[in-house]
Amino acid sequence: MNAVPSDLSAGAPVVRLAGINKWYGTYHALRDIELQVTPGERIVICGPSGSGKSTLVRTVNLLEPFQQGRLEVCGIVLQADEITRAARLAINRRVGMVFQQFNLFPHMTALQNCTVGPVWGAGVSRREANERAMHYLQRVGLAHLAQRYPAQLSGGQQQRVAIARALCTRPQVVLFDEPTASLDPEMVNEVLQTMESLAGEGMTMMIVTHEMGFARRVADRVVFMDEGQVIEIAAPADFFERPRSARLQTFLGQVLSH
Amino acid sequence: MSGFLRALPLPPRPPPVRLLPARVRWRQVWFPSRGLGVLSLLLAAVLLLAGWQFLQWAVLNAHWRGTSSEACPGSEGACWAFVLARWKTWVVGPYPDAQLWRPWAGFALFAAFWIWAVRRPAAASPAPVLWGFVLLPVLLLALLAGGGPLAPVPPARWGGLLLTLACTLVTFATALPLGLALALGRGSRLPVVRWLCAGFVEGMRSVPLLAVLFIAATLLPMFLPPGWNIDLFTRALVAFALFNAAMAAEVFRGGLQTVGAGQREAATSVGLGDFAALRLIVLPQAVRAVVPALVNILIAVIKETTLLSVIGLNDLLGAIENGAKSPEWNGESNILTSGQVFLALVYLAICYGLSRYSRRLESVHGGAASP
Repeated sequence: MNAVPSDLSAGAPVVRLAGINKWYGTYHALRDIELQVTPGERIVICGPSGSGKSTLVRTVNLLEPFQQGRLEVCGIVLQADEITRAARLAINRRVGMVFQQFNLFPHMTALQNCTVGPVWGAGVSRREANERAMHYLQRVGLAHLAQRYPAQLSGGQQQRVAIARALCTRPQVVLFDEPTASLDPEMVNEVLQTMESLAGEGMTMMIVTHEMGFARRVADRVVFMDEGQVIEIAAPADFFERPRSARLQTFLGQVLSH
Repeated sequence: MSGFLRALPLPPRPPPVRLLPARVRWRQVWFPSRGLGVLSLLLAAVLLLAGWQFLQWAVLNAHWRGTSSEACPGSEGACWAFVLARWKTWVVGPYPDAQLWRPWAGFALFAAFWIWAVRRPAAASPAPVLWGFVLLPVLLLALLAGGGPLAPVPPARWGGLLLTLACTLVTFATALPLGLALALGRGSRLPVVRWLCAGFVEGMRSVPLLAVLFIAATLLPMFLPPGWNIDLFTRALVAFALFNAAMAAEVFRGGLQTVGAGQREAATSVGLGDFAALRLIVLPQAVRAVVPALVNILIAVIKETTLLSVIGLNDLLGAIENGAKSPEWNGESNILTSGQVFLALVYLAICYGLSRYSRRLESVHGGAASP
């Protein structure tokens, strides 16, 4: 699998957020966000609930518009006042997303969930889309359930189909918005393992998660957010062993104590 | 607290069988307590009495034979002779005798379509049935109105149940797409489109259908440029279509709301544009959710068609009333009543069948996101 797109020169960031600010009404949800993701990099974003980490990844594919700043995704550069439906569509054809609630299309089989985007969004032939879908369903270990509807799959299987669906659009970066947060505990691991093997193949990933063990194993850099700001960015070893900010030290104390 | 460890796993067992005798169970259902037992008896007595009265009127004292009102003296028995002598005109109206195969073929076509629709597995996609409902009326109209190799028959020569069926199907076929367009328009980005759609829907919903029909029948021709002559049936169809489009719009709007924002976001995230997302992701789910409600609209339309007789059209009710006014059958009000009971039975048969169908769809689609 060639997860790193060839049309990107090595080293140029896949995602660059520069001075991003976002408000919900008067609530300042993202404050002066500066963040770069280089090809093949795995970024884990964590922080207390309401810290803006989900809003941050949803800003990257413009599910949430921002009001100030500059966004650069896969070579598309956007100022806050240039956000249009066309721009959002262009970015989404290069970026994949995995949601907390899976958001599989319930009236379609696993296979159809995987092919609808390539066929109707990217104009891929039905035959090629089917082959691609079976390839990625195989990758997440669900080829034998391709004809099942989402309601006939377990939560963990649904989320793995959602990962395959995201990969089928051949994204240059995949966003994960708390992919294991609504899973039963015994299903968390199958999803995390799927993501780990994906990371092992060099896929660029931005992952919002509370799974600290996963972050330690997989992340190149871990981002800590609080109150809409990036507080600290560090390699996992430093992040977990030598947190510099008091806020992160408290947070780690709370999440790692059990 | 003391610990516990199960040594042997429990195998599953069948549920216990209720060993109460049938008589006891029957008593528990009908007479669970003294008060409710009295109520059961009272209601059963009322039911029996009413049933007996109806049986006397409809069967025991009924008059079956005859060609004029003299066959049905008095009012203690139904005048089925009237129905038997007239039913053919009530079914097809004054349609030319030589062309009668066309209405019969129309009925047969619809019956075949309906049998096919009802026998499909309830969980199957509703799309073919809905398409059938939109395409069938076009076929039916072409067959009835004629043109080309078929001799033309103007709508003035249609009548009775045929007119009812044509009106129902055409109304349904035009009101559904229009209603969907209105529902989508209410969610438009353009304020003017939103206001127009909302205004139309709210306006139509707040006006009685009869008023809309009268406006279409009498007022509309005055506003049309001279020389424009639209026949009464078409004007009535327009009124029905617009009124029921407003009803369907509200149903569709409810359906669109059942599709969560997450579905639209997921559609965007796999690279679908707005139109593709609407067509492939949002609409199939929204329509599926409202199919039972659409069948209820169909039932309402069927019953509304009796209003056609009020504006002077010869639908089933109009045909029956005309029959009771004819010289042979004039006189006894009991004769008209017999015709109306016949009409009620026909509508009951059609609408009860439809409501059973709707109930079956509900039980399938009521469950969470099933295939």
